[in-house]
Amino acid sequence: MRRFFHIVAIPIRIVLNQFGDYNPNGMMYVLKENEKKVRKLVRKNPFTPVELVQPLMIRANEGDVLEVLFENKLPFQTGFHLEEADYDVMQSDGTDAGFNTSSLVKKGERKLYRFRLNHAGVYPFSDLGNPASGEKGSNSNGLFGALFVQKRGSWWTHPETGGTINSGPFADIHHPFLPSFREYGWLFHDEMETKDLTGNKPLDLMTGEERESTHAVNFRYEPLGNRKKLIEEGVVCPECEGEEVHHDSWVFGDPATPVLRGYKGDPAVIRVVHSGVKETHVFHYHVHQWLKDPVNQESEIVDAQSISPQSWYDVAPLYGLGSLQGSIGDAIVHCHLYPHFDVGMWGMNRVFDTLQDGSQCYPDGTRIKALKPLPDRPAPPKPTKEKPGFPNFIPGKVGFKAPRPPLGIVGGRGLTELERNAAIENPRPGAVFTDPCGFNPEAPVIEYRISAIELPLIYNRQGWNDPKGRIFVLDDDLESVLSGNKKPEPLVIHTPAGACVRILFTNRLPDVAGGDAFQLFTRTYEAGFHIHFMKFDVLVNDGANVGWNYDSSVLQGQTIQYEYYADVELKAWFYHDHLFAGHHQQHGVFGSGVIHPRFTAFLDSATGEPVIHGTEITAVHPLIPDYRDYSLFVHDFALLYNKDGRPIQPPDYPGSQDDPGVFGVNYTCEPLQFRLNGPADPAYSFSSFVNGDPYTPVFRCYQNDPLRIRLIQGAQEESHSFHIHGMRWKAERPDVETRYESQKHIGISESFTLETLATHDGDYLWSFATEEDIWNGLWGLIRSYGETQQDLIRLPDQPFVNASAEKPSPSLKIPPKADFLNSPAPEGAPLRKFRVAAFHVPVVYSQYGEHDPYAIVFAREEDMGAILRGEQTPEPLILRANAGDEVEISLTSYLTEDRFPFKDGIWPYPEIKEQAYYPPSLRISLHPQLVQYDVKTSSGENAGYNFEQTAGPGETITYRWYVDQPFGASCLWDMADLRNHRSLGTFGTFIAEPRGTESVHPYTLQGEESDSSVVLKHPFLPETREFVLTMFDGARLLNNIGELITDPADGLLDQDQLEEEEDLFDTYDQGSRGFNYRTERLVHRMKNDYQTADLFSSDVHGDPSTPLFEAYAGDPVTIRLTNPSERRRAHTFRIHGHYWNTDAMDLTSQVKSFDGHLITGHAADLKLHYGAGSYYGFSGDYLYRSGNIQWDIELGMWGLFRVYERWQKHLPPLGTKRNADHQL
Amino acid sequence: MLNQKNMTSNDRHEEGMIQLFTNHTGTKMLALTSSFPFFFIGTIRGVLDDYVMVFVETTNVAELENRVWNLHIHDIEVFYLEQEGWPTIPVLGENGGGG
Amino acid sequence: MTSTNESRAAELGVVIGESILVVTKSDQLNLFGQTFRPIFAGTVREVGEGHLTLDPVTIKMVTAPFFTFPTPLSIPLENIAHFTRNFGPEKVFPLT
Repeated sequence: MRRFFHIVAIPIRIVLNQFGDYNPNGMMYVLKENEKKVRKLVRKNPFTPVELVQPLMIRANEGDVLEVLFENKLPFQTGFHLEEADYDVMQSDGTDAGFNTSSLVKKGERKLYRFRLNHAGVYPFSDLGNPASGEKGSNSNGLFGALFVQKRGSWWTHPETGGTINSGPFADIHHPFLPSFREYGWLFHDEMETKDLTGNKPLDLMTGEERESTHAVNFRYEPLGNRKKLIEEGVVCPECEGEEVHHDSWVFGDPATPVLRGYKGDPAVIRVVHSGVKETHVFHYHVHQWLKDPVNQESEIVDAQSISPQSWYDVAPLYGLGSLQGSIGDAIVHCHLYPHFDVGMWGMNRVFDTLQDGSQCYPDGTRIKALKPLPDRPAPPKPTKEKPGFPNFIPGKVGFKAPRPPLGIVGGRGLTELERNAAIENPRPGAVFTDPCGFNPEAPVIEYRISAIELPLIYNRQGWNDPKGRIFVLDDDLESVLSGNKKPEPLVIHTPAGACVRILFTNRLPDVAGGDAFQLFTRTYEAGFHIHFMKFDVLVNDGANVGWNYDSSVLQGQTIQYEYYADVELKAWFYHDHLFAGHHQQHGVFGSGVIHPRFTAFLDSATGEPVIHGTEITAVHPLIPDYRDYSLFVHDFALLYNKDGRPIQPPDYPGSQDDPGVFGVNYTCEPLQFRLNGPADPAYSFSSFVNGDPYTPVFRCYQNDPLRIRLIQGAQEESHSFHIHGMRWKAERPDVETRYESQKHIGISESFTLETLATHDGDYLWSFATEEDIWNGLWGLIRSYGETQQDLIRLPDQPFVNASAEKPSPSLKIPPKADFLNSPAPEGAPLRKFRVAAFHVPVVYSQYGEHDPYAIVFAREEDMGAILRGEQTPEPLILRANAGDEVEISLTSYLTEDRFPFKDGIWPYPEIKEQAYYPPSLRISLHPQLVQYDVKTSSGENAGYNFEQTAGPGETITYRWYVDQPFGASCLWDMADLRNHRSLGTFGTFIAEPRGTESVHPYTLQGEESDSSVVLKHPFLPETREFVLTMFDGARLLNNIGELITDPADGLLDQDQLEEEEDLFDTYDQGSRGFNYRTERLVHRMKNDYQTADLFSSDVHGDPSTPLFEAYAGDPVTIRLTNPSERRRAHTFRIHGHYWNTDAMDLTSQVKSFDGHLITGHAADLKLHYGAGSYYGFSGDYLYRSGNIQWDIELGMWGLFRVYERWQKHLPPLGTKRNADHQL
Repeated sequence: MLNQKNMTSNDRHEEGMIQLFTNHTGTKMLALTSSFPFFFIGTIRGVLDDYVMVFVETTNVAELENRVWNLHIHDIEVFYLEQEGWPTIPVLGENGGGG
Repeated sequence: MTSTNESRAAELGVVIGESILVVTKSDQLNLFGQTFRPIFAGTVREVGEGHLTLDPVTIKMVTAPFFTFPTPLSIPLENIAHFTRNFGPEKVFPLT
């Protein structure tokens, strides 16, 4: 059906919370019917949030035709760009891109856009008339919203009245054949301009400096600083400190941020959208879990999920609100990045157990708004005096901290009468109002006694240390850990599925944390044990202090009992303290429990003795293959000192959240600056011959052992990119149809199980591979043995293999060269040989003369001459091979010392934390992903005790890879010198095509293997256009007159930003960026009068310097997207007007129009549904671009995909069309 | 009636299904299949061999509606035949979301 | 020989009016894009030569495990992977 909305873009004052923090220059989309009303309400209420001032959220059904009459009342040209939809790119893109006619709207004018909604899901919309970052841009100021596209035949009602609803974040959705559900729109956004009541930038109360930039949900945020001020002024809770009551409604009442309300068991969907401009957030929702891909029932179960700018996903909690156990109470919903959480990026899900008809009140006298029960579910009972329902049976005092839970604290109180009335049949410590183990009375009960303690932690052999380390430890190990007999590691406890777990948690932390160079004095007087994934009673067991719940933490010296149920094999469940997490989690307050398959036994890998905890154990099972179980916890920002007591990377002032300190993995690190022994060549930094084994974990196994690697991020704010060189795993473990990957993006609190194996003996390098991470020591080894070791038990069910391969002696001083290469391929596999050269050649990055005079490129040896003579433009190396091929790479280094910009390796820009002497290596290597090889010879780095795998100047090194599957795109990069090579361009893309594929040049249709644009021909498959986009960041470019470009600063459209904010850029934001050694920075396209409307226009500026991909409408198109570069800021990739399966191998995967959190090593295959021009085959120019307004688009990370309607002389049509044309 | 002699129970079940649909020509039915487009509502026109011919009013994909679909009876995962005294199949209304 | 609803139920080993849990063969089913595993709990109302009918029937969707489908559902016996008797639709159990 046709659905019509009249939408107006207006300027509006946005008040973000009850404390009056506001954005004076806010902008929003609003329905025309609400425009006058909202302006009037804002005039009347200048200091309080107005309900209508929220991002516009509207609804439609799959299959609908959507018409938007868009009216612009902002002083610049704006548009309404809708993602995910099908539309005529000439009419309805909401941009002025390429040679399209502009679909932007001038001030005071209107335009009708028309869209077809061909799949259900979230369709975010935003403005692209003003793509500037900073306070002059439209997106950071609020010009965004979302359309929620429901299943066909749905309708929706207002959750309070049951009446009609035209817009708003919350609605109840109904369907004749499907359950009704609560729908909650949750739009994260960041970097919004914010003033306090005085019109000044808000200050951080702790430090007296400017508050962290705004991180908000639906135009609301609830910063700790504001609430803490009420404590310090004596208004509330005089004995409180701050962070521990930040989310406590007993002290402060409910927050201004969203409270998602429902009844126990209600089906629900949270539409999580990132409408912000910069950060990759982690959405975490207490008590509940969901399928990562809600349309694939075999998808991974998650309870924390990263989200990068301009992307989205649905969170449909399994078993409905309150989860399987039916927990009632407040479940906090938040961005898990602590600086964001602290500054107010959180809300709650409130699960009631009694009917709310609008006549009830919260304990502080605020009226509880009515909530209609869902029509297809039984209504909850009405509240009575004896059973008033949540939260009114809880004996709290308004203005004071939430009460402690009954029963749980050892020596604590019993139940009040009202509590007893509300309780389950057999209330016990940790299970009072919900019985987590009740539905399985036969479940075995497993009890752990765990304490939180403070102790100094030594991070490496150079004596980097955290004198105030804080960790969890089993009570049985207290003595051995505190006396130094046991090396501290994050506590990992192991449990079989189907168990009822009891934790007796004792808080042994000091109740004060003294001030130092990193942090200010804080009274960390209570602590709890907050867990993820498991089933529990949130009121008494959350290990947190949220909403109207109890404060389920304990004071120093106290012990509390918690109870949880492990309903299924749940990979690793994360735990941490929730009371002072912002203050001390980066000191090490995190751990995990691993839920193994039922009937698994856990053994010490050295002795074979039974164990219950450890980051490295052996798991043995009577039916499924036995496996090694390894846990890795990455963490930033570790607040470390060197051996002389000097703080490492202290912030500008104590208490600053501006990226203090460095990094750790399992409380260790092995910085590359200390690995220059022997020849002092970075090419040997990972070599154990030269520098010994790292201090970081060296996990051990035998060849062919199955491995389960538990990957967790313990702290605090950053994205990390995990790799294992030479291993790969299914992207979603429960679903064998998902693609293989060998890289994983991870944010704090996310948990992944990577199931893999060591196919060869040798040393496998694992790393967190963004440049700053690995430089500062986030790497280690998995050592796979061919022969029996004294201190490593065999897996009982593994056949005994004794590897006979040649192996170097560990007593050598440098890795020896291998005498011969074992073929990883089966006999008879076709051998494809590539001769690759690495050499210096200046690369021109744009039509504006931006260039890298020091660039190092990989190229086919046969192309090297033409590139050096300037006859051929270099692109990042592209190697294509077919499934079934064996590939032999002969790589030669032509590097010379004089061609490197910084002889000491200390790059003033783009910089990284803790810079140090690291001279450029003249050696080079090529590391692949996903292909099969012998790690001892062909991984492209000198790791552990493997053979030499780099080539010195004038030398050639040879690798053998087997392409066993048509896995599509993967990254290639140099591992010989991560610091001095990568920014110069030492990366590329490897593509594994289906067997029998031939690639030809799109213009000549002649043989072509290395171009970024080719046509793939195959006897049984459609001819397809293949476009390769190698996304890069961290480049160091000069402008046309040879001056250094320091991006982001030099590329900002709004240069005023620089004056307003100090420390605007983190180290990992530095560097220029784009695709395929090309960039199109918008500053060159900006006129003097700050006109942003035509920045993407080719009519005005000509085509951009970035790759221009061409196709005819309907042509099959595959985009091979890789990011083999270096910086830690994750990107989103989008193409306008197109969508694809999020997993190219899995047709049941959800269809979306973006690819999220691109970071070092990311690779994806975007097979455009319906081909070029999408469903309707509309011709025109489609933008491809980053989703990060701040600072990717400005800095040139965008380009054009041109879809022709008519035949072009230079571009022969594909396959059958070509034959038809010949006849014409 | 079925001739149950010399039939395996699998044959009997499959024949029973064919008979069931044959006996319900003219009945409105709902069927879920594990194959695309997964879901059909329509009126039974008749049975040909082991295919039931259904005039389909509603499926997951609007473009595939209002046409006769021949459903392989043994690939129907679950179904419902509307009958006297039993619940009716709801109508999928293009109701504009307003309820 | 004329078989009745009851006798056919007896042949299958169930009783008309009792509550059972039935799982069918496919990985997942799809209603308007909502996917779910084919796990059904309901009361046996009818057993035919080649099918049984549950009425009322709960589809154990993992995001809405107590969803009562608006019509009864009939299940071809040949597509049943397995079933278990005496299983109330209100029983709580993990579905992943």
